[in-house]
Amino acid sequence: MSSSVISVISRFLEEYNSSTSTKLKVVDAYLLYILLTGALQFLYCLLVGTFPFNSFLSGFISCVGSFILAVCLRIQINPQNKAEFLSTSPERAFADFLFAHTVLHLVAINFVG
Amino acid sequence: MALLRLVSLLVFVLALEAQALTPSHYLVASDVDRLQAVLSQPFTDLKSAYFSVVGLSKLGVSVADSNDACSFIKANVDSSSIEALFYAAEASQAISSCEIHVSNETRDSLHAAVSEDSTVSQIHQAVSALSSLGLPLASQEVVSALKARISKEDNVVAITLALQTASRLSQQAELGEILEEIEDLAARLDDLGGVYLQFEEGLEATALFVSAAYALSDHVDMEPPLKEDQVIQLVNSIFSKKSWDSLSEAFSVASAAAALSNNRFHKPVVVSAVGPATVSHSHPLLQLHVTDVLCQPLSSANVLVESATSVASKAAILSQTPFTLRDGIFELNFMASKPASGYYQFSVAVTGDSRLVANHVELKVKVSTKVAINNMDLSVVDKDQSIGTKTTRVEYPNKGKASFIADSHQNFAMTFQLVDETTGVELTPHQTFVRLHNQKTGQEVVFVAEPDSKNLYKFELDTAERKTEFDSISGTYALYLMVGDATLENPVLWNVADVVLKFPDEEAPSTVQSKNLYVPKPEIQHLFREPEKRPPTVLSNTFTALVLSPFLLLLILWFKLGANISNFSFSPSSVLFHVGHAAMLGLMYVYWTHLNMFQTLKYLAIIGSLTFLAGNRMLAQKAVKRIAAEQSSRLAKYRSLR
Repeated sequence: MSSSVISVISRFLEEYNSSTSTKLKVVDAYLLYILLTGALQFLYCLLVGTFPFNSFLSGFISCVGSFILAVCLRIQINPQNKAEFLSTSPERAFADFLFAHTVLHLVAINFVG
Repeated sequence: MALLRLVSLLVFVLALEAQALTPSHYLVASDVDRLQAVLSQPFTDLKSAYFSVVGLSKLGVSVADSNDACSFIKANVDSSSIEALFYAAEASQAISSCEIHVSNETRDSLHAAVSEDSTVSQIHQAVSALSSLGLPLASQEVVSALKARISKEDNVVAITLALQTASRLSQQAELGEILEEIEDLAARLDDLGGVYLQFEEGLEATALFVSAAYALSDHVDMEPPLKEDQVIQLVNSIFSKKSWDSLSEAFSVASAAAALSNNRFHKPVVVSAVGPATVSHSHPLLQLHVTDVLCQPLSSANVLVESATSVASKAAILSQTPFTLRDGIFELNFMASKPASGYYQFSVAVTGDSRLVANHVELKVKVSTKVAINNMDLSVVDKDQSIGTKTTRVEYPNKGKASFIADSHQNFAMTFQLVDETTGVELTPHQTFVRLHNQKTGQEVVFVAEPDSKNLYKFELDTAERKTEFDSISGTYALYLMVGDATLENPVLWNVADVVLKFPDEEAPSTVQSKNLYVPKPEIQHLFREPEKRPPTVLSNTFTALVLSPFLLLLILWFKLGANISNFSFSPSSVLFHVGHAAMLGLMYVYWTHLNMFQTLKYLAIIGSLTFLAGNRMLAQKAVKRIAAEQSSRLAKYRSLR
């Protein structure tokens, strides 16, 4: 049972390593980074308390927003989805990503107080 | 030792209660006088003379100076105008010995006016003038002319005039069709809340309709198709207005009043109590005005109490007892049947004439009485040993000579009875209070005294238990008894005695507290929310490091993946783009620490547009490179395949 799970996971990692382009791996690393940051903020909130509540909210929301934007970017630049985003070039997707980030951070900073 | 004071005074108070529909608006004597005064104004023209003279004759009054009036009419009549002739003829007929002579041409012009080409109003004036002047009339012609005109002028005023005209015609003429118009008009009356019945054309139209309908019905001796309730509702709407805007309105009300008080079919009765119902014991009479709508007493009528029942107990006191008539007022000695004080419902019937309408009236009568206080006993009872203590009797309205002293181990007690002064029957008035008044401090405490099952009032003051109500202030209190009720003629406020109450001293501070009541309170300071306790610095620093640590992980991962930094070109647009981006991030930090939103947006717009242009250029170059690379690789693939 456990061996099969391990085999599945190892197979998955193998496939991922071999078939995913470096570009997507970079984005995935970024996603992991954001996920961990958000999780740590949440952990702090659970352990210590929500005292600067707006700071917590803005930090956490900024993480969630960044994650979503990054996922969108990843979907758009994935060669497998090329058929669905014919009119969106990878460069266009990256520009959108940056613009959305600017707006998101303006809001998040505004919320920090 | 009881001394009964026997002075008795009983009062009836009347209030009309509308159960069956009875006239709620009617003219009282002063209203009739005012109506007469309005109609007695000096004449300004022939029309006003007509309204005054004829209106007054409807009220049964003749004009003040009939010779003057007659000469005024003769001087103002214009024999070429049918309207003027109508006014003159009608007015002169109402004045005795005032005849107007008309020439043959005038008579012909009046006859000529009775045709289908004239309006109903003209036909009415011509016919009335002819009839008043005693000249011959072709009734059947008038009827056919009227019928023709009614079909053209189908409004309330015109049909009312047609009815009025028909009443002047010969009884042999075929008046049936015109008579039917009464029923049609009655159907057009508007019912307002079941109380009023009127035409939307107004008071004048309604009043003139009533007058015309009864004139015609009397003329042909046929009962008008009006129900009893409708007659009462018409009375209400005609007499609800007590000030009349114009002479013609006053005239119409006078005509309607005359018609309603004197016709062959319906005679509305107005029953009202005399005055503000102050009847004393010396003449304990229930007095009623029973009149027609013109305030003339119905002397020939019989007024009967069908039943009189107590509102509280529903017990019948009287039945089928007649009122006696004295000077136009109907009287009944209700005290002869010895009613207890309270309210009584009277059902009064007026009979003696088959024409009477609204002749069953419900009245509410109040019987009031005087109260006497008996057996007022005061005592101070020791709580521990209920030894028979000495009681002191006080007589109303004297004040007890000695004052009573009660300390916290004693109860102060008071018993008394309330009785009817005349009959000695025990009473339980609505309000029976015991008031204790401290003359020094002005403080007063009021208790309710309640009767027991034998209607004996008992009031007991437990000094220890009640001390809070007195604020524990010992001292001399004046003891008052207060008795009141709507049916009592003599409300009582009696200073029975003085009572010295002694409370234990322990609660002296309460008086201090009350003294401080009007001292300014301490100022209220605004309190900011206290900052919450912060976690230890070590902990927060650790987490700061922890939150930042994934960034390190990101760098390591990117390094491992072999991020393609070599692809970075140092073209100006690329540099500007990256610098701009960094500047935006810096701006965010400055916004957090220094700037406000508007300043931030201004700077952001500048940096953002620069970055946008540079980014656009850089990415476009990249795209061109990428597409070229793709094409070349595709081309290579294609070549290799070949």
